[in-house]
Amino acid sequence: MGKGGFYLETKNPIIKFAIAEKFLNLARANSIWPMTFGLACCAIEMMSAAMARFDIARFGAEVFRPSPRQADLMIINGTVTKKMAPTVVTLFEQMPSPKWVIAMGNCAISGGPFVFEGQYNLIEGVDKILPVDVYVPGCPPRPEALLEALMKLEEKITGTRRFPVPEKQW
Amino acid sequence: MVKKTSDDIKNTLKGVDVVEISYTERGYHLAIEAQKENIVSIVEFFDKKSFYLADLCCVDYVDYLELVYFFNNHKEPCRVKVTLKVEPDKPSAPTISHIYTIAHWYEREIHEFFGVYFEGHPHLVYLFLHDAIDIYPLRKKQVSVTEDDKKLLSSFKPEEFEDGFFINLGPQHPSTHGVLRVVVKMDGEYIVSAEPVLGYLHRMHEKMAENRSYVQFLPNPPRMDYLGALNFNLGHVTTIEKLCNIEVPERAQYIRTITAELNRISSHLLWVGAFVADLGGLTPFLYTFQDREHILDILEGITGSRLTYCYFRFGGLYNDVDDAFIDATKQFIKHLRGRFGMYEKLVTKNVIFINRVKGIGVLEPGITTKYGCSGPVIRSTGIPFDIRKVEPYAAYDKIDFEIPVGATGDNMDRYMIRIREMEISLNIIEKAIEKLPSGPFKAEKVPKKLKPPKGDVYHAVESPRGELGVYIVSDESDTPYRMKWRVPSYSNLMTFPYLAEGELISDAIATLGSYDLVIPEIDR
Repeated sequence: MGKGGFYLETKNPIIKFAIAEKFLNLARANSIWPMTFGLACCAIEMMSAAMARFDIARFGAEVFRPSPRQADLMIINGTVTKKMAPTVVTLFEQMPSPKWVIAMGNCAISGGPFVFEGQYNLIEGVDKILPVDVYVPGCPPRPEALLEALMKLEEKITGTRRFPVPEKQW
Repeated sequence: MVKKTSDDIKNTLKGVDVVEISYTERGYHLAIEAQKENIVSIVEFFDKKSFYLADLCCVDYVDYLELVYFFNNHKEPCRVKVTLKVEPDKPSAPTISHIYTIAHWYEREIHEFFGVYFEGHPHLVYLFLHDAIDIYPLRKKQVSVTEDDKKLLSSFKPEEFEDGFFINLGPQHPSTHGVLRVVVKMDGEYIVSAEPVLGYLHRMHEKMAENRSYVQFLPNPPRMDYLGALNFNLGHVTTIEKLCNIEVPERAQYIRTITAELNRISSHLLWVGAFVADLGGLTPFLYTFQDREHILDILEGITGSRLTYCYFRFGGLYNDVDDAFIDATKQFIKHLRGRFGMYEKLVTKNVIFINRVKGIGVLEPGITTKYGCSGPVIRSTGIPFDIRKVEPYAAYDKIDFEIPVGATGDNMDRYMIRIREMEISLNIIEKAIEKLPSGPFKAEKVPKKLKPPKGDVYHAVESPRGELGVYIVSDESDTPYRMKWRVPSYSNLMTFPYLAEGELISDAIATLGSYDLVIPEIDR
């Protein structure tokens, strides 16, 4: 167990091959395997993103794996309660490194609409228990927002953005 | 029916006062004040008359706690409220779990949220809350958990079990549709017993209701049941309209009916996909989502959101519908009718699918009153119980529609009923659009800060999963004193331990899928 209550592989390898690493990162970024893990309302939007209209397969992330041992992206899509938190951490620990976390929706970011004085069952933000890479605001966010988060993650992994930024309309 | 029940109670139960209540104002017909000595005999009476336990909840009045039992009949609406006062210090009451099986869970729920001890309950352990809780959350004054109750916190303690093993189905499991956990005791491939563990998504809606004004609570119900969001929204607003006596214009009633039915179709479509995916067929999932996206587009046009709609307001709607909505809905009706043939070929007539669901998970009609099931689960046993028909709300009384019922009560029946219901929903929408009157879409003079008169109200609507009841106690302030949600999946899921016993684990997955569970709704 690490400092924050979970084990994180942060040590760099002794020998690092820059070009090989770059190539590997490109491969990782374009074949992210998310975990089949639905918590609440946002899970339905995640499913929508995987289905025919939004088609997450265009970005190589359609292989949803029910087992954390085969996944490298955890999408926290919903409210994490105090009863659920140990399970979420266990699942994250079971994922092989390198691994990433997307906090989808307001509940995962900060507790969202369910924070009030005297609440007794909520983790106010999943970043208190897991290292989050990308935050997606919304209640629930649209599937397009999840796709954009995937692109942001890709940018984080490889350092460059492959897909163009959509034009701003507002 | 109401008169007969009232007379029956007076004749058989001596010394019990029955008060007739105005149904249009309060939402129930009869009220009985019970004592600790006679509560069991009163409940036994209702069990004999084949009433079902619609709801059991507790209200904290500081001076005393009040247990509220709601009974109803499947044949004709006759809602009876039975109240039982218990003292606030070390509260206890006799259990009724040996009479109604569903009371097992209701009593456990009350025990952990209010600290009421039920004498004679066989398994009074915590159901919802996490291990570190040290208060009874829904008590008005802060009361810390007693030492005796702290021992009951962790509900799963594997006992000595030599010839088998335990399987933990969930909380992260693709076929539980969320974060439900079922502890299954196995003997080889067969299930010895199954025990659902709830509360992995307990989001404190009922506590929140007591902290927020009526208007501020509007976005919560859609997040309770995100698939039938408009139906939950409707249940919430109609209850408060009943409490405050607000008249809703006819146009709003029709639009409510149309949008709620559209939402029902989208919920059922998702269920068909998910159910077949549970059984191993992933293709229909893609097709149903494609159809579902059409509904989301239509509803997004008028409500502004894709999933958690908050469209209905007290006394009407957020905004009026336009011609584009009507045209799109008409087009969608035509489109979906053309798709049913494809679904029949793809799923209904698929031999693998039929073999996996036919004759599995058979629910007999006799035991449904014990569990208080509702929705497609009870209709599959052949009982035509539908709140839209027996206690009409919105514009359902002005539209003629039929209720599909099953014959055997197995998983195939539950599937067929939902498919039929989608077709019937399309008919309802078509008729409602034909009859759609013009006029205002919002009641005038609805105050921004609602302060309902003192009293309580129970109101039920038919959500895609069954009877959704809202019980509100008002104390004349702008926040509810207590708001209890009677949710359909809760009582439907209670039948799972009964149906899974002795089944193969793969068949139990099919049964679990057939309930159409939405976990946030169960956990609230």
